[in-house]
Amino acid sequence: MGDRRSVAPARSLLMVHNSKVRRTRVLTLALTLAAFAPVAWFSIPNASAQTEQLPTILISRQLATADRLRVGDTVALSSKPDGTDPRQFRIAGIYEPVADPMRLAATRHEARLHLPDLLSLTADPSDPLSTESVRAINVALKDPRDAVSFARDVSAKIPIPQLTARPAQGGEETATVFVVLDRFHFAIAMVTVAASTVFLLALMLMLVDERRETVGILRLIGLRKSRILLQVFAEGLLIAAAGAAFGILFAAALQGAVNAFFQWRYDTVLVFVRITPRIALRCVLLAVPLGVLASVISSWTLLRSNVLELARR
Amino acid sequence: MNPFVFAVRGLRRQPGRTILGIAGIAATGALLFDMLMLSRGLVVSMEQLLSGVGFDIRVSATHATPLTGPPITNMAETVAALAAIPEIENVVPLRLGGAVVDIGKRSYDVTFMGADVTNRRPWTLVEGRDLTIDRRSTMDPPSRDGASARQAHGLAAILVNRNMAQRLNLRAGSSLTLRGACTTNSSVPPVTFHVNGIVEFPFDQARQLTAITSLKDVARTCGDTAQNEADMLMVASRQGDSPTAAVEAIRRARPDLSAVTNEELVARFQQVEFSYFRQISVVLATITLFFGLLLITVLLSVSTNQRLGEIAALRALGFSQKRMVSDVLWRSALLVGAGGLVALPLGLALSIWLDRLLQTMPGIPANLRFFVLEPRALIIYVALLAVTMAVAAVYPMWTVARLPISATLRSEVIG
Repeated sequence: MGDRRSVAPARSLLMVHNSKVRRTRVLTLALTLAAFAPVAWFSIPNASAQTEQLPTILISRQLATADRLRVGDTVALSSKPDGTDPRQFRIAGIYEPVADPMRLAATRHEARLHLPDLLSLTADPSDPLSTESVRAINVALKDPRDAVSFARDVSAKIPIPQLTARPAQGGEETATVFVVLDRFHFAIAMVTVAASTVFLLALMLMLVDERRETVGILRLIGLRKSRILLQVFAEGLLIAAAGAAFGILFAAALQGAVNAFFQWRYDTVLVFVRITPRIALRCVLLAVPLGVLASVISSWTLLRSNVLELARR
Repeated sequence: MNPFVFAVRGLRRQPGRTILGIAGIAATGALLFDMLMLSRGLVVSMEQLLSGVGFDIRVSATHATPLTGPPITNMAETVAALAAIPEIENVVPLRLGGAVVDIGKRSYDVTFMGADVTNRRPWTLVEGRDLTIDRRSTMDPPSRDGASARQAHGLAAILVNRNMAQRLNLRAGSSLTLRGACTTNSSVPPVTFHVNGIVEFPFDQARQLTAITSLKDVARTCGDTAQNEADMLMVASRQGDSPTAAVEAIRRARPDLSAVTNEELVARFQQVEFSYFRQISVVLATITLFFGLLLITVLLSVSTNQRLGEIAALRALGFSQKRMVSDVLWRSALLVGAGGLVALPLGLALSIWLDRLLQTMPGIPANLRFFVLEPRALIIYVALLAVTMAVAAVYPMWTVARLPISATLRSEVIG
């Protein structure tokens, strides 16, 4: 197999013609062949052997579904937009394309050819180098951690103009896209947290207001402000922790539905939402202190009030 | 005192919680407003960019997105055939290549384009003179204008964008040397151009270096023989004729080509390329709306529960059930209305920040906006807030409507 970009050209470049033999057609063909068997014996000495000798390709699941292709079917590929000069290939297998977020919206109608087949199919007669050119060479290292230093060494030791060596993981552009998307989602999360905090503060003010008399009585029977504040703090901590835990569980339950929707929408196996322990920890670290802070701030005004005013009906 | 004034006074009596409630609704509303702007922002912005170019039809060799598929061969014949269609006013063939320019000790990629223009141009001249070549330059000897420009300077004319002018300190009259890099294994000699002027391309990225010259000079720079090829034809339909009629005429004349109007192109982008942001905006808008509804309901319910004694007393004094229920509704309307109003400038400010953030994504034209304010977004926003206000008030209104006056008063006194 060759370079992925080279062997997975757009459908518009490689016109795929379905020559699948349907069952009814098989019967017709069998009868026709039986009638002309003697002629066929000489003119097509070993048709099945020829089919076996056809070069093989793999096609993507999406292409197989769209064009109702199956393993063993014969297809014709052409590098010309009008489908001229096609070549026959036999489908040896159907594969699930590697999920690529950069090609999320693209319809993955792809075929993978053996490199010599692709080069001969796409060769430019006016360019002798076209049968010797590839866009990329994939290298698997024994230790993938050496990718960066290996790429550096290749660039230094093979001084061919326009030759670029870079680690396959985390291309510069891909990384930038996801860094930007990450920042965008983080910004949205921050706005949501700000809105929640304000609402929480408003709610806590109301709840504390309901407890004016209780706090007044506690102060009258001798409890100190710090003791009541500690109680408010503990309550806030419990409520915030319970809220954060519920939020994480809710998100974990919802992630399946979100993933299922987007996977269906984009026909991909990409995972869109994943609640990792790190994300859960970030949520707890944000939510719990904010909840506690809202409890303490809202109670603070109450504790500063005169005890008789609090207990007064 | 009418219910509205009564509700206003009630809210003013507790300024702390009222201000916090409005602030919370404002933050939620700002996010909702932004998501509504995002849901169609890219589409509206793309429509504006496409229509601003001055060409309403794109023709390419296949159904692939323009400039991503194979080139149109026999370009000259194709241009002549399309130009002869009565519904068409102007046809401009465009070829997209690549070039490299040296700045200091480093080489930078340049988006290098070729176009044979007549009276319309898919760019805006900022400084200097425009290209004055016509399509005859591709196949025939240069036209009189093109020839004179070339003879005067001895160099082919080129236009560059502002980024390139700034990076290379170019101005009209400067010389520019480019190395063609249109194909792999390209090793053609560099070509020096005369910079005619500085232009603005609508689809340039923030840091993109772009240059445009004639198709013939692109072919010369690229060192290839594909002089009779174009990646795309930009077509302007004749005034008075709809682009759809022109596209149908093109399809009749040349069924082997793919012609799309700006509207069809935008619809295709909406279905495929832009769908992620549309989906994410729908999901986030739904969550925001649900979140806002929940919080306003809780806020109103708690507030109403705290006022049950007061409401029962007012009922006992003769206030009707309808009057007290409308008071709750007005309170909800005032909170949501005030919060919603504050949310508009807040949301606009937030959208500018988020837009700048998303603009840093590679491959995005600098003039493309993710968040676009349009009347549709505003109308939906107001409608959603109105529904939220009404739904959030349902439970507290139900509580007030079913409030037993004597039992509540008794429990207030005993409690």
